[in-house]
Amino acid sequence: MPEAVKTEPGNGREVAFVGRSLRKTYVTGETEVHALRGVDLDIMAGEILVLLGPSGSGKSTLLNIVGGLDRPTSGELWYRDTELTALDEADLTRFRRSSIGFIFQFYNLIPSLTAEENVRLVTDIAENPMSAKEALELVGLGDRRHHFPAQLSGGEQQRVAVARAVAKRPGVLLCDEPTGALDSATGVRVLETLAEANRELGTTLILITHNAGIAAMADRVFNFLDGQIASIETNENRISASEMTW
Amino acid sequence: MVRALDTKLLRDLWRLRGQALAIGLVIGAAMATFVMALGVHHSLTQTRDAYYDRYQYGDIFVSMTRAPRSIVQRIEAVDGVAIAEGRIEQFATLEFADRIEPVRALINSVGADGESKLNRLVLAEGRGPVIDKANEVVIDKAFADANDLDLGARIDAVVYGSRTRLEVVGIGLAPDYIWSIAPGELIPDASRYGIFWMGEKALEAASGRTGAINALSLKLERGASEDEVVRHVDAIVAQYGGTGAVGREDHMSNAFLTSELDQLEAMTTIIPPIFLLVSTFLVYVVLGRTIRTEREEIGLMKAFGYGNWAIGWHYLKFAIAVALIGILMGSALGWWMGLSMTEQYAEYYRFPFLYYQVAPNVFATGAALAFGSAGIGAIGGVRAAAALTPAVAMSAPPPPIYRAGLVEKFGQWADISAVGNMIIRHIARWPGRSAVTVSGVALSLALLFATIQFIDGSRAMLDNYFFRAQRQDISVAFIEPQNEKVLFELASMPGVLRVEPARAVPVVMRNGALSERVGIEAAEIDDRLSARVDANGFEVPLPASGLMLSRPLAEKLDLAPGDRAEVELLGGRQTKTTLTVASIIDELIGTRAYARSEALSRLTRDGTPVGSANLLIDPLYRDQLITELSDMPLVLGITERDAAMQLFEEIIEENIMAMMGFYIAFAAAIAVGVVYNSARILFSERAHELATMRVLGYHRSEVGIVLLGELALLVVVAVPVGCLTGYFLAQLMVAMFSSDLFRLPFAPDRSSYGFAALVVLAAASATALIVARRVARLDMVRVLKARD
Ligand SMILES: Nc1ncnc2c1ncn2[C@@H]1O[C@H](COP(=O)(O)OP(=O)(O)OP(=O)(O)O)[C@@H](O)[C@H]1O
Ligand SMILES: [Mg+2]
Repeated sequence: MPEAVKTEPGNGREVAFVGRSLRKTYVTGETEVHALRGVDLDIMAGEILVLLGPSGSGKSTLLNIVGGLDRPTSGELWYRDTELTALDEADLTRFRRSSIGFIFQFYNLIPSLTAEENVRLVTDIAENPMSAKEALELVGLGDRRHHFPAQLSGGEQQRVAVARAVAKRPGVLLCDEPTGALDSATGVRVLETLAEANRELGTTLILITHNAGIAAMADRVFNFLDGQIASIETNENRISASEMTW
Repeated sequence: MVRALDTKLLRDLWRLRGQALAIGLVIGAAMATFVMALGVHHSLTQTRDAYYDRYQYGDIFVSMTRAPRSIVQRIEAVDGVAIAEGRIEQFATLEFADRIEPVRALINSVGADGESKLNRLVLAEGRGPVIDKANEVVIDKAFADANDLDLGARIDAVVYGSRTRLEVVGIGLAPDYIWSIAPGELIPDASRYGIFWMGEKALEAASGRTGAINALSLKLERGASEDEVVRHVDAIVAQYGGTGAVGREDHMSNAFLTSELDQLEAMTTIIPPIFLLVSTFLVYVVLGRTIRTEREEIGLMKAFGYGNWAIGWHYLKFAIAVALIGILMGSALGWWMGLSMTEQYAEYYRFPFLYYQVAPNVFATGAALAFGSAGIGAIGGVRAAAALTPAVAMSAPPPPIYRAGLVEKFGQWADISAVGNMIIRHIARWPGRSAVTVSGVALSLALLFATIQFIDGSRAMLDNYFFRAQRQDISVAFIEPQNEKVLFELASMPGVLRVEPARAVPVVMRNGALSERVGIEAAEIDDRLSARVDANGFEVPLPASGLMLSRPLAEKLDLAPGDRAEVELLGGRQTKTTLTVASIIDELIGTRAYARSEALSRLTRDGTPVGSANLLIDPLYRDQLITELSDMPLVLGITERDAAMQLFEEIIEENIMAMMGFYIAFAAAIAVGVVYNSARILFSERAHELATMRVLGYHRSEVGIVLLGELALLVVVAVPVGCLTGYFLAQLMVAMFSSDLFRLPFAPDRSSYGFAALVVLAAASATALIVARRVARLDMVRVLKARD
């Protein structure tokens, strides 16, 4: 594992991800799109990291690579002792299964499964999960667990997605605009739950948002521009999710 | 405007090419069987009619013991008779140096140079026999081919008790022998039975019938009544031992050909409709799915001003294009299969020429049926597309609503895994489509089973006839009924263990206005070498008195046990009597009647003479016995049970096994078409969910289970449904394929269900696995960006 570049104070935490010279180039016909142009990063275990930046600047691309959904065109990426960029398809799947919880803008629930069953979809294959019921209680939906997605509001569906993501007690939670489709109050609820998972379980939380206000809850903020991390801000005193409004 | 839509159509076809092709395959199978069966039917009918017409096939046939040649003029004078011609038909035993098994020939007399007015000889090679040259014969082509006989070949023969050496001067065939079988045999065997033609004067001399004939055939005047003429002819020939005149439909050669043609026709009414039904379902399902996913495009098009008609027509064209693929593939395949099948028929039915042509209207009808069934399948979807208003269409499609229904409650109660619930609930969410998959796969299994069980039926018939009903090793037919003395003579031959007499008495049986020609078979209650066995293989005892009739005969004459039948002896004396019907037997072969010899003696008044004898022999003496029997002048023919059985087996192997590949391919086509389409639809519907599962950390194989599990569940349900459907379909086909001449029993072996299930399961699994490979290509990233 390459020596972590301690650019910023990590509060003495361990390093979760180390990335070096990460590039992602999409080739479509004649044109090449450089989604990532040589990104170096260190992500500390247990930190809350927010990725900010204009549309098309490469945030989702990075998040997907970090989560093992996609591979960089070049560069290397480590998660703790594992070189993710060297893993094959099956090992990458195993990595996602054991370590990563995803939350997306569009909740991606299975419509034919109840809230509880959607969570069970993950707990069925996780190593040391909490029970589906427990996870739903964590997001305040214990009494709605037999409801199908179609019977839940958007915010409730997103909370089911959060419950599904945290139920396996993942080392890392990756959220791509988790509040993008929600109103402010509901968004805050969701963020509170995510922060709680970070606090209680020590989960590393990486969050993409267009909402600069949300950055206030982060330990650090990566500002993306044109496929690169343009700047890194460190919040000396971050605020709790419940204090946020937008 | 139309251009843009047509471009879309081509794009759709290309995008759905796999599915379009899979449906095309099923439609193609329908088209192929249709074109093949009707094409062969048409070709054989044309060939037959041309043959009959050009070579003057007779309208009525009659044989008698012996009549003066002058009788021909009397017959020709009958009202309605255009041409009458008499001839001699004489059996001969042939001797081939290297062969022990008996070979026979039926020699027909012909005029000078092989010419005759009716049933004219077609020379394939050589020339006609000189009218009075005793040793010149023309032999039939099948016999020549089977025995490797060329022009100039010499054949040692015993004709009417005297030994001669025949010379083959020609090889030919005739319209009254398109199909022929040696008397007493069950299966034609060209290597052991030949049709010969000899000059009239020569045969008269050789058969001791100078100035006499024993067979007549005649041609009717246009519009003449066959029944009338038959009645007149019967009256004239009665005193010469006439055995009853028959029209073409009862003349053996034509009767067999006709029953074959009827079976081909029956085939077109059963098999193509099954394929078409499945293709209708498939078009319905695929188009329905396409239209659901294209709601927005439809809305957009309508907003742009496309009318309902234009949009409906656009989707209908998709169905038409798919049908067209099937029609083209099926036409070519059907044409080619028809050709090879016609050629196969030509091995059993001898024609001097073969017209193979499929009439344009066969293609047209098949195409119309294919377009029709695809169109019917399209109607539901097309109407749905037309009914969408732009506003509704462009709003997001109503998501599939799942709520706590029975299936959902069951899943929770039974504590089924999340993946298990995904599978079960999806099936329940789309009951119509699930039913299409189940019934499609079931039909493919049913069709395969229904076709292969004919092999079991043939085997059962073989077993029934050769093992249960016939227990002799050899049966010996005599030139004319013999005195009982002959039995002692046979019994005293070395190696003969048991001798039992047999005889069939030709009669006309009547019940009121109904009448039927039949040979009543004489038997004894204590016979051990022959038995009457019903379709289920059970022996039915001979009644102590009265008649036992086979069911088809009883039905034709409307006779039931206890009824009295009027029986008139044919040939020789025309004695009449009435006999009581004692019992009815369900048999597989022919229309037959049985009685004890004693009951018949009242009719024949000649004691109990012997027409043939059944022998049980010591196999060590077989060769010697056959040689000795062949040398006996009174012996007409010798049939060995084992040889006949083997021949039968060979025919089953050759014919049915040759078709086996087609049956399997066609059944598999249905299974592939159905499973491929359900799998593709399933995959496209669930792609989003499957990608989500991959994101959540499910391996490809685990995600594949969602897809394969649903299909497997449906296919597993389809297997018993298919077996049950096959059970009924097979019986329907057995009934439709049975003729007066014989019918196959419905006696499927259990392994046939298993075999059909295996083939269908293999086709289904292979197809599903091919589609499941797409799981590996799921793009997790893209799917997360989109909202379903
Ligand atoms: N599959 C792809 N093929 C081609 N180009 C792509 C593909 N995926 C992403 N890109 C391009 O890569 C660049 C980065 O995309 P990315 O999705 O990471 O942006 P983003 O920062 O997440 O934007 P947003 O805030 O709008 O979600 C964009 O220019 C995008 O067009
Ligand atoms: Mg993004």
